[in-house]
Amino acid sequence: MRGRKLSLERKKMLAGYVYIAPWVIGFALFMLYPLVYSLYLGFHEVVGVGNFQLRSVGWENFNKAFVLDTNFVPLFISVIQDAVINTPLIIVFSLIIAIMLNHNIRGRAFFRAAFFLPVLIGSGLAMQQLLYAGVGRDTLVNGIGVPDEVFLYMGPTFSQIVFDMLSRLTVIFWKTGVQILLFLAGLQGIPVSLYESSRCDGATEWEMFWKITLPLMTPIILLNLVYTCVDSFTDINNRMMVYIKDTAFTKIEMGYSSALGWIYFLFIFVLLILVFVSTRRLVVYTGEK
Amino acid sequence: MKSIPISKSKQRTAAIDRAKVESKVRAIRNNTLVSRFGSKSRWISLIYQIFVYVILIDLAFVFLYPFIYMVTTTLKQPEDLLDFTIKWIPQSLAWENFYYGMEGLQFMRHLKYSALISGLSVIGQVLSCSFIAYGFARIKFPGREVLFVLCMFTMIVPPQTIIVPLFMQYKTIGWTDSILPMVVPSFFGGGLRGALFIFIFRQLFRGLPWELEDAARVDGCGSFRVYWRIIMPLTPPAIVVTTLLSLVWHWNDFFEPSIYLTSEEKFTIPMMLPRLYQSLTTITGSNFEVFSLPVVMGATFVCLLPMLIVYLLLQRYFIQGVARSGLVE
Repeated sequence: MRGRKLSLERKKMLAGYVYIAPWVIGFALFMLYPLVYSLYLGFHEVVGVGNFQLRSVGWENFNKAFVLDTNFVPLFISVIQDAVINTPLIIVFSLIIAIMLNHNIRGRAFFRAAFFLPVLIGSGLAMQQLLYAGVGRDTLVNGIGVPDEVFLYMGPTFSQIVFDMLSRLTVIFWKTGVQILLFLAGLQGIPVSLYESSRCDGATEWEMFWKITLPLMTPIILLNLVYTCVDSFTDINNRMMVYIKDTAFTKIEMGYSSALGWIYFLFIFVLLILVFVSTRRLVVYTGEK
Repeated sequence: MKSIPISKSKQRTAAIDRAKVESKVRAIRNNTLVSRFGSKSRWISLIYQIFVYVILIDLAFVFLYPFIYMVTTTLKQPEDLLDFTIKWIPQSLAWENFYYGMEGLQFMRHLKYSALISGLSVIGQVLSCSFIAYGFARIKFPGREVLFVLCMFTMIVPPQTIIVPLFMQYKTIGWTDSILPMVVPSFFGGGLRGALFIFIFRQLFRGLPWELEDAARVDGCGSFRVYWRIIMPLTPPAIVVTTLLSLVWHWNDFFEPSIYLTSEEKFTIPMMLPRLYQSLTTITGSNFEVFSLPVVMGATFVCLLPMLIVYLLLQRYFIQGVARSGLVE
């Protein structure tokens, strides 16, 4: 009896490995080797493009990125700046929209459909084409019509930030589709009984938002934070991505491009680790986990 | 509930009572504004509702703006663009711009490759990601957590970081200038954001009751049968979500096809967008640069049209689906 049970356990375990086998194979074939090789390539220079001869150059490529290349560091900083400004805006707006959509309003289906529509344009060439045609430039800044005097009062640095935010807003809105959906899913997962009991205890809407909705949404906020970060950093229109691609395929500096890619990748990795560590205490998990 | 034989009128009042209770429960479930503010004041509720509608309609306009812009601009004659009195509604509808857009993209010719790449990738991702997610969600084995973290970690690798060695790898096995580099990884839980889909499926599978699976197993179901006959049919929401996102992302993808596909007849539709002028000039023999914007918008619209159609068809399941797909822990 005992032996049979053990073998059943083992059989189940083996089944587990069978299920994730496709991923392991795919990871090994299409991810692991290229990842290791691109790191290796980062320490080399491609001498002959035709037969792909490599020459070891040590840390030269990494040095070049920070010391010699006049484009890389400013580009890097501006890309980070973009992400730092965009990400909180995306999270806050998608949360607000999701909360409004979660109410029982008329035409909810229409609004939900509308808010997801820009995801169809995605970040591909069609989006670029639209932005190039001037969509997004004149919708919100002019639409809100902030008088110049307001900007004068705020001082140059702060007004620049506000202006930046306003002029980004339209394009940012279009990036909130997936986040709105995730938040909606999260909001619907909050048990109604929590609201009912707190209402019985005399809680106001405002208190309920801060004491119930927000804490229970923290896992989704974290998920969205990570998704938004990854999405903005690996976006095809991200200038850093364009730069790395150009270095590899237009300038044919494969080694240098690999080094740039790794610097960028490590940066995102460290950033996400920081996000996880810093939010660990804030994120509330209910249930057994 | 089994009905107990009672008189007709009693039955009716019972039904009415039940309906009342049900509607109340539904009202609470839906967080109805009335129930939330009813105890305080009708006026606050009304003002709040108007406020919410104004904001939502405003935002919906912002979200629909690119589509409205695309369609109205396409319908404009070149003269309308120069006329400052015309903002949205053109004087006469220029349907031919859609036609030019379609011709310029050589839509029918390139549809095949676009459809092949995105269609096969979708099938691959839905099958493989759900399969892998079943392993991660429902079977305990040593190293599961580590492997799952590793799997999530692949999400953050920018494609640009590994594109050079991948390209060389595909070149060695002769896959370049074919759809294989885009399609094959999808069948191994990869492809565009495969890890995200594994995550979505896993979250859903974890929420399903174990009793179902146990019952099936007692009846002699193997684990594959459980996955395929019991778990998968319970997850249409996740399947719809994954299908749509995967389809849209693969359809719009420009980076990978532009690296791997070199001969022009294999280009995907988005890849034809930058060549629009060139191909229109060769087709019509005239210079299109002059009155380009409506044609460009027409082409952009045509490029997105298949996605729009699919979205309109799946939209209902999609929006409901996410809400119930158990993305929540």
